[in-house]
Amino acid sequence: MTVVPAQQQTGGGGGSSGLYDVLELILDRGLVIDAFVRVSLVGIEILKIDVRVVVASVDTYLRFAEACNRLDLEAGPRKSPGLPDVVGQITESGARGKSKGALSGAAETVSDAFKQAREEGQTESRPRARKTTARKKEEQE
Amino acid sequence: MSTYVYGIAADSHPSLPDGMGGVGDPARPVRVVKEAGLAAIVSDAPEGLRPKRKELLAHQNVLAEAGAGGALLPMRFGSVALDDAAVTGVLGERAEHYKERLDALAGKVEYNVKASHNEEAALHGVMAQNSEIRALAEANRQAGGGSYEQRLRLGEMVASALKAREAEDAVDLQHTLEPAADAVSVGPESTGWLANLSFLVERESAEVFLTAVEQVRKGHPHLDVRVNGPLPPYSFVEPGPSEPAETGAIQAGPAAAAETGH
Repeated sequence: MTVVPAQQQTGGGGGSSGLYDVLELILDRGLVIDAFVRVSLVGIEILKIDVRVVVASVDTYLRFAEACNRLDLEAGPRKSPGLPDVVGQITESGARGKSKGALSGAAETVSDAFKQAREEGQTESRPRARKTTARKKEEQE
Repeated sequence: MSTYVYGIAADSHPSLPDGMGGVGDPARPVRVVKEAGLAAIVSDAPEGLRPKRKELLAHQNVLAEAGAGGALLPMRFGSVALDDAAVTGVLGERAEHYKERLDALAGKVEYNVKASHNEEAALHGVMAQNSEIRALAEANRQAGGGSYEQRLRLGEMVASALKAREAEDAVDLQHTLEPAADAVSVGPESTGWLANLSFLVERESAEVFLTAVEQVRKGHPHLDVRVNGPLPPYSFVEPGPSEPAETGAIQAGPAAAAETGH
């Protein structure tokens, strides 16, 4: 599993919203004087996750593979983060008539996707079914 | 009563946060302990102080307040001296060193920059650049998603391409921002970001630095770039790279202070 941090506001100073992002500075940087002691920090070793382990996991690979399967008709580097699921399903069903890679015409495909969304009224049954079979297959193996 | 230490400033610092609320519940009032031309920003240390959100924020807020008024050496969270006398002892003993560091950091603040990939956008980039991945993804799609092995193979390739992209972006980010800063300190890796960089920046020219950050954002729309600052110069209190705390020191309790205290 990949750990996704909460969206932080950019800019700004020491407000509480940014605590997550400055945590390791407060806890792990700053002056240390050996004549002083430190209070116990047991239980907050949040930064010690091994990046390689997280990235190189079967779960991650499968997730990326699925994302790629959905990606073809999605386009535009700055899609709203709330959309991928819906758009993914719509474009998947739309992909049959348009098997060519769509990376060349990014802007066009986005508007296509939204047009299809309107026309097709967001039919979800087929992509869902496909997902389920994929998962079953995975379980069998 | 042991003494919690927030940071060290020159005793000529114009606005030390004397009386401000510090760590503990109720918040212990911040005091100033002076010795040898230096001023330690301290408060009483509450019993059983733990690294809770509230306490971390108290530590950070006291330092932010003090740092806004002048140069400051921020302590790592949780530094506790046996008593005020132990603090003045350390100040007297190492006055020259701390004064040199305060001079070096005068007028400077830290900006911490963390960047991560916007995953959808980064995937797009990887697919656009790598025809092998594109072909494999297309084959899988035509096969109704592909077999378990095929999907694993595609995912592994994508993961590796993304990782390479992350490394490139981290280098690029550092190279782009470095010229706008006096110094850079590379922070620990974690899963939450591809780059974690602290920059030492002249307070007066912070705008230049922030403009450079904006340029990075514009030039790399697939990156989420988060900036925190101005901060006390946590990562630059000692010359050279700062090291993470030793485990032994973290585990030490107040009893150890009695043994090692001066």
